[in-house]
Amino acid sequence: MKPVMIPTTDVNSDTAIVTAWRVPDRSPVRAGELVAEVETSKAVLDVLAPDAGYLLRSADEGEQVSLTEPLARLFPTSEALEAHAARAAEPAARAAAAASEDVRATAPATRRAAELGVDLASLATGELVTVRMVEAAAANGATATPPDLPSPLDAPAGVERVAVIGAGFGANQVIDIFAADVAKRAVAIVDDDRSRWAGRVEEVPIVGGTQQLEGLFTKGCFDSAVIAVGTSTAARKRLRELCAALGIPLTNAIDRTARICSDVELGTGNVICAHCHLGVATRVGDNNMLSAYNSFDHHNVLGSDIATGPGCMTSGLVGIGDGARLGTGIFVEPHVEIGQGAQVASGAVIVNSVPPGHAVKRRVATMTTVPIRDRPAPVGPARNGSS
Amino acid sequence: VIYARALGDTLRHTLEADPRVVMLGEDILDPYGGAFKVTRGLSTDFPTRVRTTPISEAAIAGVSAGLALAGYRPIAEIMFGDFVSLCFDQIANHIAKYGAMYDGAVTCPVVIRTPSGGGRGYGPTHSQSLEKHFLGLPHLRVVAGSLWHDPVTLFDGFLADDLPVLHIEHKLLYPLQVATNGDASLATIGRDGSRGFPPTVSIRLVAREDCSLTVVAYGYQAELARRVLERLAIEEELFAELLVPAQLSPVDWAPLERSVAATGSLLTVEESTGGWSWGTEIAAELGSRLFGRLRRAPSVLASARDVIPSAPDREAETLVGERQIEAAVREAAA
Repeated sequence: MKPVMIPTTDVNSDTAIVTAWRVPDRSPVRAGELVAEVETSKAVLDVLAPDAGYLLRSADEGEQVSLTEPLARLFPTSEALEAHAARAAEPAARAAAAASEDVRATAPATRRAAELGVDLASLATGELVTVRMVEAAAANGATATPPDLPSPLDAPAGVERVAVIGAGFGANQVIDIFAADVAKRAVAIVDDDRSRWAGRVEEVPIVGGTQQLEGLFTKGCFDSAVIAVGTSTAARKRLRELCAALGIPLTNAIDRTARICSDVELGTGNVICAHCHLGVATRVGDNNMLSAYNSFDHHNVLGSDIATGPGCMTSGLVGIGDGARLGTGIFVEPHVEIGQGAQVASGAVIVNSVPPGHAVKRRVATMTTVPIRDRPAPVGPARNGSS
Repeated sequence: VIYARALGDTLRHTLEADPRVVMLGEDILDPYGGAFKVTRGLSTDFPTRVRTTPISEAAIAGVSAGLALAGYRPIAEIMFGDFVSLCFDQIANHIAKYGAMYDGAVTCPVVIRTPSGGGRGYGPTHSQSLEKHFLGLPHLRVVAGSLWHDPVTLFDGFLADDLPVLHIEHKLLYPLQVATNGDASLATIGRDGSRGFPPTVSIRLVAREDCSLTVVAYGYQAELARRVLERLAIEEELFAELLVPAQLSPVDWAPLERSVAATGSLLTVEESTGGWSWGTEIAAELGSRLFGRLRRAPSVLASARDVIPSAPDREAETLVGERQIEAAVREAAA
């Protein structure tokens, strides 16, 4: 085998574009025959065969090639060429076969199909598959046969049976809260991530995705639901609206160590974790997820679909709008209004109101972590020496 | 087949189909065949009709004007679009005027072809897109090749018409494959246009009603915009319709207006320097025609108003590329 190199003294180019092949691939060529033209940043160059032989191209027309790699290879016989080409083609052929089976779908549609259990191949119409098409197919019952899904748990008469929406870490917290509540019991979990189906969180079975809610509720398998998603207020809102549309009531999950003072007005669907404090005459909307050690002092007004990290402390007369998201360890001065959908970084001290849809950024104290070095033994007389 | 080859085949076709066609330009004879090899082979097969010229763009334009007045159909090549400024007087004061000045008693149907654009590190005087200075000249058509406009159809149109044409060929298009019907892409390729205009090509991955933006681009920038829009559609379901006109001036407004009226937002993309440009003209006209029906003011993306550096990284900052298009699309689709 003899390489066909691009002849250039051009020091400004690393690559060239193959503008034209002048001989067919795998054909015999004469020594000195014009085989290709390539364009560098300076000029179009003719590439001549350095010898006679059978030519195998390394690049197609229009492709960018390195000036230091062979543009083609020459073989003494066509058998030698075919043997080389067969070895080189194997991985490429496998990739091409895999690609031909692919249905073209957007990345969000691919994710949604996995969540809903829709087989993308069933949507192959030649069009680009979008989230809307996946959801329409799911609504028409195109979901793949679900695996054998567990049934919700039972509960003694008089105990409220709660479906937990979301099987993430929020579910552990909610189930822990209900474990100490004799009046409520988590009986089932739904999650749109199919890989979680039929699993369990603390003995509570994951009975399928959110599309299971309607059927199970109609069959009387649970009485109410609570949303255990802490990371996305948008998801909390979407799921709350889904429950409202299905007529499923939301229920509060309130840790027994939480202190709810007098004259507090509390909506539904709130998750209130350990050691929270809702001060006198504070009003709380629906579907908020308040982490441990939050303290909302007197006469606060909280909207709905809010999520907080642990250790958020407000003074009196603070307002927090719908869908606000608070990080960990935040202090809020009196009379501050945190607007709808606002986001506040961990560790912030809020002294002024935050307009809706705005983010409060804060440079978290930087930290340098270094490995601990073994210190050499101190030189000099021992402190407890007897000298 | 790559664009340079498709164009060369088209020139051969015009020589074969119309005996009035002659070609002239610098270094277009074999074996060199032109700086970008578009005319390669033509002088061998048509030695009397494909002629090389001295290094004078003014002379090329002037001789072409004379040939056209005498009944020939000259197709001239200007080696780099930067040098078309040397033809400006012949085009603006003579070639484009004769037909109207003599009330149709004579015509001057010169076709001037020229490679434009950067991206090759050719520096300040071999990388520009100067075509914007020719837009709006009365009785001159400015046409830009693209991967979706068949050059045979375009050049047949030039020869069937008696107007002079400035034909812009972005040099990065030359090595690219022209679009064919058998493409694996799922994009819907549509054609829309008014009588007397080359079609405006529409490229989109979903129905127009589901697009939140119309992007208008020509030449190589249209290919860059297509790549950006395909990526945003697949990865994020951000859908936009790409319109690729061939004719830059005069503009065929109807297809642009129909699309922007449906999507409610417009972004124009061009490689020329910003301001006083193709995009500003389209934005002004469509902004006026569709006043009150747009979600936001039209956006115009063009290159920095500066000389074009040779260093690749600095050139990429100066000229419109995929990065700049993506940022502009995100803003305009909002």
